[in-house]
Amino acid sequence: MTAVLEVQDVTLRFGGLTAIDGVSFQVAQGQILAVIGPNGAGKTSLFNTITGIYPPTHGRVLIGGREIARSLTRRTVWGWIAAGVGTGVVASLGVNLADLWTHGINDLFAPPRPFPWFQALAAVFQGLAPTVWTATPFLLGTVAGIAGAASLWHSSRRGPDLVARAGVGRTFQNIRLFRSASCLDNVLVGMHPRLTSRWIDALFRLRRHRVDTAEGTAKARELLALVGLEDQAHRPAGELPYGHQRRLEIARALALDPTLLLLDEPAAGMNPTEGRELTALIRRIRDRGTTCLLIEHDMAVVMEVSDRIVVLHYGRRIAEGTPAEIRADPRVIEAYLGRDGIPSRVQTATVAPGVRHG
Amino acid sequence: MERLRPWLVPAAALLFAVILPVIDRTLPSALSIAGLMPGLMVFAIVALGLNLVTGFTGLLHLGVAAFMAIGAYTYAIATSPVYPFQIGPWPGVFLAIVVTAASGLALGLPAVRLRGDYLAIVTLGFGEFVQDTLRNLDPVTKGTMGINPVPPLISGHGLSTYYLYLGLLVLAILASRNLRDSRLGRAWRAIRADELAARSMGIGVARLKLAAMAAGAALCGLGGAAWSALQGSSVEPGSYDFQLSIGVLCAVIVGGLGSLPGVVVGVLLMFGLNQIVLVKLSNAFGLTGANAAVWAQPTNWKYLVFGLALVLMMRFRPEGLWPEEKSP
Amino acid sequence: MTLWDILLQQLITGTANGLIIALVALGYTMVYGIIELINFAHGDLVMLAAFAALTCIGACGFQPAADGSFPWGALALMLVVVPLFAAGANWTIDRLAYRPLRRAPKLTALVSALGVSFILVNLGLFWGGVPMEVFGHGRAAASPKDVPDLIGYRNLLGDSAVQLTSKDLLVMALTVPLMLGLTWFVTRTRLGTAMRACAQDPIAARLMGIDVDRIVGVTFLIGGALAGVAAVILALSNNSISFGMGYRVGMDAFTAAVLGGIGNLPGAVLGGIVIGVVRSLSDQYLATAWTNAVVFGVLIAVLVFRPAGLLGARVREKV
Repeated sequence: MTAVLEVQDVTLRFGGLTAIDGVSFQVAQGQILAVIGPNGAGKTSLFNTITGIYPPTHGRVLIGGREIARSLTRRTVWGWIAAGVGTGVVASLGVNLADLWTHGINDLFAPPRPFPWFQALAAVFQGLAPTVWTATPFLLGTVAGIAGAASLWHSSRRGPDLVARAGVGRTFQNIRLFRSASCLDNVLVGMHPRLTSRWIDALFRLRRHRVDTAEGTAKARELLALVGLEDQAHRPAGELPYGHQRRLEIARALALDPTLLLLDEPAAGMNPTEGRELTALIRRIRDRGTTCLLIEHDMAVVMEVSDRIVVLHYGRRIAEGTPAEIRADPRVIEAYLGRDGIPSRVQTATVAPGVRHG
Repeated sequence: MERLRPWLVPAAALLFAVILPVIDRTLPSALSIAGLMPGLMVFAIVALGLNLVTGFTGLLHLGVAAFMAIGAYTYAIATSPVYPFQIGPWPGVFLAIVVTAASGLALGLPAVRLRGDYLAIVTLGFGEFVQDTLRNLDPVTKGTMGINPVPPLISGHGLSTYYLYLGLLVLAILASRNLRDSRLGRAWRAIRADELAARSMGIGVARLKLAAMAAGAALCGLGGAAWSALQGSSVEPGSYDFQLSIGVLCAVIVGGLGSLPGVVVGVLLMFGLNQIVLVKLSNAFGLTGANAAVWAQPTNWKYLVFGLALVLMMRFRPEGLWPEEKSP
Repeated sequence: MTLWDILLQQLITGTANGLIIALVALGYTMVYGIIELINFAHGDLVMLAAFAALTCIGACGFQPAADGSFPWGALALMLVVVPLFAAGANWTIDRLAYRPLRRAPKLTALVSALGVSFILVNLGLFWGGVPMEVFGHGRAAASPKDVPDLIGYRNLLGDSAVQLTSKDLLVMALTVPLMLGLTWFVTRTRLGTAMRACAQDPIAARLMGIDVDRIVGVTFLIGGALAGVAAVILALSNNSISFGMGYRVGMDAFTAAVLGGIGNLPGAVLGGIVIGVVRSLSDQYLATAWTNAVVFGVLIAVLVFRPAGLLGARVREKV
């Protein structure tokens, strides 16, 4: 069966700094996989590459077996050409507008005589006959239009929005909720790709808008209940305590109905009780059918909830296996605790200059 | 603002607006303002357009006057007896909305990918560009004279005009509110709050920014057409200048960015102050003529008062006079 | 004149104008680089400084020399007084209108800058009503004021069809050393390095013990001084000032700063020269009426393919 996520030999470089170095792994349907490693190991960069925020310098990310990018089809190219020709026509008309208007309208308009529409049209066509003044703006406009359309297409080819629409939801290491919006609204925003009401439905309050809103709100309330925030639906997200905000971010990510959920340090700042509740939540999410990939530092949570663990260190994968295997792996122990038993966090501060955070 | 029943204040305001002309008739002509209100309502409609772009979506737009001008000129060209089209006032309004929305799309296509401040500069340049084009295309736009005459939306300059424009303003407010409380509006506000997070939720940010530009332009086009109809002329291109764009922006910000009642209050305050209060003060003091010292005439203080109001507002109440409510 | 002569002339004029624009653009770009504020009031500061220059001329009774000699004394005095005035004014404006808003959202500071712009314009209007002879004895405050042509016209290339006037040379002689001096200052001195540090990361700079407020104040002082120099040149070259001139100056400078990549000092200079040359070429070969549109077109074209400006760097958002 196709892996939900496959990371193939991904390398990510920022100028001279290598954040991820040839990392490969797979996540199968229904698994919970944790990515761990000391600070600066490249974990959040990995998430950002998976979700399309940074394109990998080398390698590929496959979601459900395919790379998430708009493909260049013949239709796309025809679209560019159409855009080009359209721009060319507009440019040609624009440059000659004064003359066309004069010959086509001003010269012929003599009330109370009725306006000779056909004659005017003929005059306009005559004015557009190929000359230097009409052909040059047309050609230049066409070229500019094609170049612009291609450039626009190229810049929107990849991106986190495409990845999200392909069924990947995520939370952020530094919580990125919409603070002044209510909890309900936050979840509804997350549901955006799954809702169907368009601007015209909204503007005129058509039936589709009302049905869409009602269904969306009901589903949002369900998600809030799943994470235990159902009575906070109308509170502004910024007013919630830290732990609740993390849970709200999860609910928002789930609103997408994702096949893959990326959780970036979901247990940060939680006490052991909350950590256990989080573990239960992640299991509930997996049982609903969503594969989970999480970055986490809290070893209790990691060991408890993960099916498999991938360990990163200085951007490289140094180990992969079940929690039991990882616990006993000497390379992992060395990376975390150092050869002298000093936690790696302290070591990296003195030993490894220039290592990026996260 | 304390949280009263949410409909109470708008209902009271609407009631006041409806009976205003009646009250106004009893006032001495020096204090009469009902005749000047339709103009303010037009600017409120334009400000609502800007609010869609800057208030909801967070795109700083420094050239709304250009959209207003396009709407005004489209209406003028389409309806004036100077040209053979003469399609009638309401088709003219509809055409103005469509054309201005298209121009919003045209501006947005290259500009929407740019970072916030760069986008602002491009909108600024666009404003200049449109103004210059309208000035230069003499055969089409009649250059600095503008296109006259232009038919009004409704004949008679009294009560009927007042209530018609009030109706248009109410429609614009309703449209803004409907868009805001919808899937689209939520996505727009998410883009304003945190663009990267919005993108990560699957929101097509570039496309929605384009939609915001088009929608804002459409409202501004409505305002422009209504303005042209009110003035009986397309009005010369020089009046759709940077100052107008900034005036509308400041009205929106001083009223409360993103807040619908705030926008209306802001326009009433800023434009009302300028067009009504200061003018009447000058008339009252009767100081005109070349021999009066420049600082003795109240209208010569308008920039200072305006500027000082802005600086002080930003210092002491930057969220605006009637800020957006945190969502219920 | 041959075709080459015309082109060369436009390049000379364009570069001279462009360098003035660049001086003002530097003020915009330095302030933006350090506090991310589009200082809309900067163009109007140039206007006020130009009024200060005219006041200087009026107060000292400077007149064009009868023998056409270069006004070294007058120029020296103005180049001290006016930049000092402009620097002080700029510093004060920051202290009163922008510093209290350092932690506020960018839009708030922007609106404040717009407010300051309006205040300055009104001050210019009042200044034009001052009862001095150079200001028309206080009549018609709103109309443009003539600046006595102290420098006069002299083609330094003798009888050649292509003209390099003393005004052109003055512009280059003033602006180029100033820009070089600014570059040296920003890269070689402690204060300049502190400025660059603040521009990159104000919090880190503060942690290093840099007084960010003081540095920002210095930035405004320098930007103001540059604006003052630009104002003197403008007043003496165009021989006319008005309370509304800040808009055009500001727009051009601002566009130049963005074109070059806002926050980037060499970019501002490059942008200024590009805009100046484009304007000259457009005025000559197309039509003056379309020049603003052409400048806009150039800006869009550059931004479509280089969204951060010609020399600007893409800023990566930390996720």
